[in-house]
Amino acid sequence: MQLNKQAKKIRDNNQLGEKLALAAAALLGTTAHAQSNDAEWNFSTSALGYSESDRVSAAELIFTADKAYGDAALLNLKVVLDSLTGASANGAIEQNSIQTFTRPSGKGRYAIDPNTTPLDDTFKDTRVQINASWSDNFRPDLRYTIGGNISKEYDYQSLSVNGEIAREFNQKNSTLSLGVSFASDQVSPEGDIPLAFSSMVVDQGQFANEGAYWDAFNATRIENSDSITTSELLVGWTQIVNRRMLMQFNYGYANTNGYLSDPFKVLSVVDSTGTTQDLVYENRPDSRAQHSLFALTKYHLDKSIFDISYRFITDDWDINSHTIDTHWRFLGDNNSYWEPHFRLYQQGAAEFYQPFLSQAEAVPGLASADYRLGDMTAFTVGLKYGFQLDGGDRAEIRLEYYKQTPNEANQPDGIAGLENLELYPEVDALILQFNYYF
Amino acid sequence: MSKRHRIKLILVTNLLLVLSGCSSWGVAPWDRDLLAKPEMALNSSPLDQSIDDHIYFSKEASSGGRSFAGGGCGCN
Amino acid sequence: MLKKIAILLLVFPMLIANARANEEIPTIDISQFNGKVVYLDFWASWCVPCRKSFPWMNKIRQQYSDDQLVIIAVNLDKKRELADSFLKEYPATFDIYYDPKSLLAKKYQIKGMPSSIIFNKNGKPVFAHTGFFLDKIEQYEAEINKLISASK
Repeated sequence: MQLNKQAKKIRDNNQLGEKLALAAAALLGTTAHAQSNDAEWNFSTSALGYSESDRVSAAELIFTADKAYGDAALLNLKVVLDSLTGASANGAIEQNSIQTFTRPSGKGRYAIDPNTTPLDDTFKDTRVQINASWSDNFRPDLRYTIGGNISKEYDYQSLSVNGEIAREFNQKNSTLSLGVSFASDQVSPEGDIPLAFSSMVVDQGQFANEGAYWDAFNATRIENSDSITTSELLVGWTQIVNRRMLMQFNYGYANTNGYLSDPFKVLSVVDSTGTTQDLVYENRPDSRAQHSLFALTKYHLDKSIFDISYRFITDDWDINSHTIDTHWRFLGDNNSYWEPHFRLYQQGAAEFYQPFLSQAEAVPGLASADYRLGDMTAFTVGLKYGFQLDGGDRAEIRLEYYKQTPNEANQPDGIAGLENLELYPEVDALILQFNYYF
Repeated sequence: MSKRHRIKLILVTNLLLVLSGCSSWGVAPWDRDLLAKPEMALNSSPLDQSIDDHIYFSKEASSGGRSFAGGGCGCN
Repeated sequence: MLKKIAILLLVFPMLIANARANEEIPTIDISQFNGKVVYLDFWASWCVPCRKSFPWMNKIRQQYSDDQLVIIAVNLDKKRELADSFLKEYPATFDIYYDPKSLLAKKYQIKGMPSSIIFNKNGKPVFAHTGFFLDKIEQYEAEINKLISASK
């Protein structure tokens, strides 16, 4: 109530002040700025097209709205819509002959040509995500943020909350921040969750009737959904070095528990000649603990701004990764700019990553042939152009090229019969994005 | 002065010099003109950042690590 | 002997530093406003809360006469064009003083942006504020009113 009275009093006084300011401005011949205690909404939108050669394509739409309240409070809302189509590797290796696989739902099959990486193209998905966050100052040097997110697609649902506290020191030259987040996800794949290492049931005429096929298929299913929970902690230190330079250092810890396997992925079990004898569903650990270290530097030169960051991540799946990311923004007239971008990523394979299984060996406790868990190097090169329109709105256009190459030297030993097959295909993608701010 | 005392003095002096150097890191409040620019914010392209995070989360095994508090104009 | 040299080495740079600091004293002389309350404000085009402090300073400018209150807003932009474009959007009915080398800011040792110092009729700094807050406007106005109402 007190605050409302104050606000009303200020507003009343400002009417007069505003009128006089406007009058003064008219005399001076300038345009006055109407004062309001509540700021306006700031909006941004983004449209993205992502396309891998021969594989997945995605389109994404983002809409955000920001509003400031009072002296320091900020409300942030975001909606994301994305749609995926195309084909994704199912984990099996290519062969010299045609291979047939059962679709994840169990309804129907698909055939893959010889000497072609098996891709499952039943994969179509649309997702909606909503984020909201609120931040404000407890004191001029102490700020808090709380936020929540919901994400839903037909076979996956995620709910998360996060909070952060930031304290400033040394006349706001240093900031210490502490953030936590908790997420609870539910995965309900089409065709249900498969039993780890059970064989993929492929109808090749061996069943007396459809009922017999479904009995066999259902025998490989354990439940229709499972959950995943993630807890994360992030500690950060930001330091202003001088008038042109800023640095940030973060340590992060993340712990994930639940169903972490990919229900759609299999491994090929091959004999000594490299011929696939069986296809089995993968099995990953049911927990993952990850540590990350991140360092970022931003430097403002005369007509350009440069930034470079390094990130190291290690986890108990034995995956170690290094990321270097850098941008250089060249500032032009009328708030326009060009910004080249380069990113280099290198990852070591997960302990249980196996491109395929050998019939001669015992079935391991854990295995996955998902190429995304393998030893690989990826780079991104991109260029972004930003400009301001006449009304003051801003726009940006970004074009990027991403290429992922498995590090063949570090791959597990092959088998004689597989030498002329492409076991470790590359993946590359083109990204085109438009941003608009108003 | 004994050898131990001399070493202690050198170490303490060095530490003080380093620490006083640390407190000279940073800028006076009126010198934050460049740092106040939106492009110098830690997360200066939030749309790009969230898109990149999403893409790399889907294509790579490691994800996360960033956060965004600090820098800026230091006002209020 | 070694002790004396050490002391000299430590003290000498401090003497030099002080000497340099005394050279370039900026030129606002508060004593010229004797008998009036002075509101000295430090701002810059990049200071976001200044977009709110300017309309408020316009308001108190018209609330008190020139004989009662002096308002000087010291601009700390390094380039004049930046201050000019801010003033186009947020015009000021009070005086602007340009301090691109931040000499006045250093003299008054301001701790943050924006900053304000309120001097009483005797030219003594009585109230100082770091930052500009909408929910402190009542307090700022009470302080100005108190100093203006006070006799010399």
